[in-house]
Amino acid sequence: MNSSFIAFALLNIGFVLLVSPLFMSLIKKVKAWAQGRRGPSLFQTYYNIAKLLRKETVYSPVSSWVMRVTPYVCLSMTVVAALFVPILYVPEPVAGFGNVILFLYLLGLARFFMALSGLDAGSTFGGMSSSRDMSLAAVIEPTSIVVMAALAVVAGSLNFLEIARDTAGRLFPASATMFLIGVSLFIILIVETGRIPVDNPETHLELTMVHEGMVLEQSGRNLAMMEYAGAVKQTLFIAILVSVLMPFGLVTELSVTGVLFAMALFVVKGSVVSVIVGLLESSIAKMRLFSLPNLFIIAYFFSVFTIFTEVFA
Amino acid sequence: MIRVTLYLLVAGFFALFLGTILPLLVRREAKPIRTVSLIATALGSAFLAGAALPVLLHATTISATPWHLLPGVDFTVVLDRLSALFLLILGVVGFADAVYSFGYVEHCGHPMRRNLLVSQMNLFLLSMGMVILAGTTVQFLFFWEMMAIASLFLVLYDFEGEGIGRAGLFYAVMSQLSTVFLFIGFILLYGETGTFALVPASPLASSEALAAFFCLLLGFSVKAGIIPFHEWLPNAHPASPSNISALMSGVMLKIPVYGLVRAVLEIFELDFTMGAVILLFGATSAILGIICAYKETDIKRLLANHSIENIGIIFSGIGLAVIFSDLGMPTLSTLSLLAALFHSFNHALFKSLLFMTAGSVVAATHTRNIEEMGGLVHRMPFTAGLFCTGAIAIAAFPPLNGFVSELMLFESFFFGLQVVDPLTKVLLIFALSLLSLTGALTAACFVKAFGVAFLAHPRSDRAEHAEETCRSMLLGPGILAGLCVATGIGSFQIFSALGYDLPLPDMLVIGTLIAATLGAVFLATTKIASQETRVAETWGCGILSQNSRMEYTEKGYSEPVISIFSSVYRADKTIDKTWLDPDQTIVAGVRAEMSLVKFFEEYLYLPVARVGLAASSLVRRFHAGTLDTYILYTFVWIAILVLGLGWFV
Repeated sequence: MNSSFIAFALLNIGFVLLVSPLFMSLIKKVKAWAQGRRGPSLFQTYYNIAKLLRKETVYSPVSSWVMRVTPYVCLSMTVVAALFVPILYVPEPVAGFGNVILFLYLLGLARFFMALSGLDAGSTFGGMSSSRDMSLAAVIEPTSIVVMAALAVVAGSLNFLEIARDTAGRLFPASATMFLIGVSLFIILIVETGRIPVDNPETHLELTMVHEGMVLEQSGRNLAMMEYAGAVKQTLFIAILVSVLMPFGLVTELSVTGVLFAMALFVVKGSVVSVIVGLLESSIAKMRLFSLPNLFIIAYFFSVFTIFTEVFA
Repeated sequence: MIRVTLYLLVAGFFALFLGTILPLLVRREAKPIRTVSLIATALGSAFLAGAALPVLLHATTISATPWHLLPGVDFTVVLDRLSALFLLILGVVGFADAVYSFGYVEHCGHPMRRNLLVSQMNLFLLSMGMVILAGTTVQFLFFWEMMAIASLFLVLYDFEGEGIGRAGLFYAVMSQLSTVFLFIGFILLYGETGTFALVPASPLASSEALAAFFCLLLGFSVKAGIIPFHEWLPNAHPASPSNISALMSGVMLKIPVYGLVRAVLEIFELDFTMGAVILLFGATSAILGIICAYKETDIKRLLANHSIENIGIIFSGIGLAVIFSDLGMPTLSTLSLLAALFHSFNHALFKSLLFMTAGSVVAATHTRNIEEMGGLVHRMPFTAGLFCTGAIAIAAFPPLNGFVSELMLFESFFFGLQVVDPLTKVLLIFALSLLSLTGALTAACFVKAFGVAFLAHPRSDRAEHAEETCRSMLLGPGILAGLCVATGIGSFQIFSALGYDLPLPDMLVIGTLIAATLGAVFLATTKIASQETRVAETWGCGILSQNSRMEYTEKGYSEPVISIFSSVYRADKTIDKTWLDPDQTIVAGVRAEMSLVKFFEEYLYLPVARVGLAASSLVRRFHAGTLDTYILYTFVWIAILVLGLGWFV
């Protein structure tokens, strides 16, 4: 663990924690515009989290330590996962940080605890969402893994940081097949962050909700942590997408101007992705739960296609 | 060091032998003798683990031939790095299981049989240890058979119980089937090498050797519960006492894995096709095992099906190793083989842990149905914590050990995809997709198992009145839980100590970082956030108080996956609605039914059984029962033999 890696860790975690709520509100704003409303302020998610932190926490008498531990696990795992993704400055990978599989499984642990907490209060909503979320997670998993395999095959490494170091400074990725992976990564972004057409983050109706039902019993600071974790996770998947499709802006040498430039550029790139997600959410309806595997299959075949294209490239 | 190791081995086996004999000497139900016997089990297991550990670490080979049984047939004990690993598995799990059994055996029904249970448990461990150390095929088969018989008695512990006799019979038939295949395989092997030594001087590659390998593969697959030979596993595990389930799943299933690895590495020189066969066997077992597990409500059947899945993962690693070594990629081959071996070790730890905690729960609630549990996290907090640790380990989440072996396997797939030819790529992508789906379904399945069995309201009176188990039943699984964490966190250091330089993340650093982040998040929230808490009823849409009937059930939980994979489950859904009015607008009642076809039972086992029955009813006609017909048969048979032999000569 050298000093440049510690700088990277502090930069990445600090920056991600800072900008994540922004992208959350931006998507809401875009959706509001598309519907002809003015929408909430861009800082609304920050306000929400601050408000929740001041509120009291309510526990069900049925709930156990699982309910109490889950928010900490979720937020910590996503924060640790932030060290696996290139956002601003990319150091030499140390001790296996940046490993794509470890990244997925760290987020998986957060999901595992979230699903358990859904069952913990004994509410039917929680159980239903937990069941749906774990089922969808199971079905998307082969896709995520094969996409990561495709990325590893194309980039010749299974470490996000190494891949980013190789491509840093380029405007576009070295291989055009990366754009095929981009399609799959975008679908994974939609699934992992629970966006339409997979899940509707706005509603609390039992027919549509997947993610929301699990946090239904959370309140106060715990809810704040869960929401923060969700926002950070979204930023991480956005970061993976943009660092694969448009690595321009990532710096491999530590300098104040370089990092400031990378920050500005990441906010712009992240905003573009958020606007696209927002527009997509406004333009299509939620899919039926059992037709979702079809969507995942599309992503799966794009990534398998990538692996085979690479043979002839 | 060799001398010390040999002494430890002798002491270990002698202790297990004493543990077998002692309880048989006392004819009445006596707790002290069981305690002595279990202490012998614990000591014996510890000695064996102690003998194995230095051999594993320094990669020495110890070989001793204490007796010459017959000309050409020796009693040879061989302990090298491979057998040391499996002996270590046996020692560790055996030790923890002995600790657990101090308390558990007293919960078993039939007080008169408890002595026998303890005695057979020792014999079971002893025979498994001897199979691992066997240097000749004769020893291997002898102790293999002893292992099968000892475990059969253990499965039949509660033989009057419902379905247990059938499970025992099924188990006996399947383990004999595996012995038959091994027997044929070893005979063919003898034909090739001309010695009874297990490991020939140089690996064999002829077509006869291939036939021998195929027989051994079938024999090992049957014993390991590879699909389609798996059906005995989910029957035998719930039937046997939980400490025995832990041993059977943790250790006994690893013995065929040991045999297969030995065969693949040293006895045969295999080509790509055989590797692909093993890989596909493994990957299909993994996915079908988890799919079978997902629908189970019986906690021990659920765990047993997960064993099929995990053995599938291990076989996949072995298959990959064969493929890569045939393609001339030794580093990748080593990585995938180590993944398989490390997963064997990890599976032994977490599956025994899960079986033991499941046994505690069953002993406390007197039911195996998770839909009758619930709320146990408040009543059995330590057992719940241990089960949760096991669940995180088996669901392969960092930083526990299950994750590391799964990571190694995935990495060998990823690296392999970068170098192999297109056709192999298809195979690898196919297997990789199946295995990743397996991994994710395991996580979902254990959320279900832990959530339904331990969280929320108690779902029955029995669960309501459950109490925490005794110390020994916490300590036994506790040791394994500690090891799950330690081997996960220390995985990188363990592999460097063993002399392997693997592309693995340093879980010690990552684990420390996770702990530090947890601490930081905790401190930050206590500093900035409001600390007020209130306890209030779960929100239930205005219902005043919720009860267990309103909770989400196990069936409900698994429904989405069953619907998505309905073609695999061959789920048969029927919904009958009755209407109050002729226009069918007002529903009077709905009856929904879903049944799952037992695919292998109906399409594989039963047809084979029917053919067997038809054949035996044909044969039965010749058995009229009168003496003169038999004399006629003898005469005809001798005539055929004489004529036939005369024609041959």
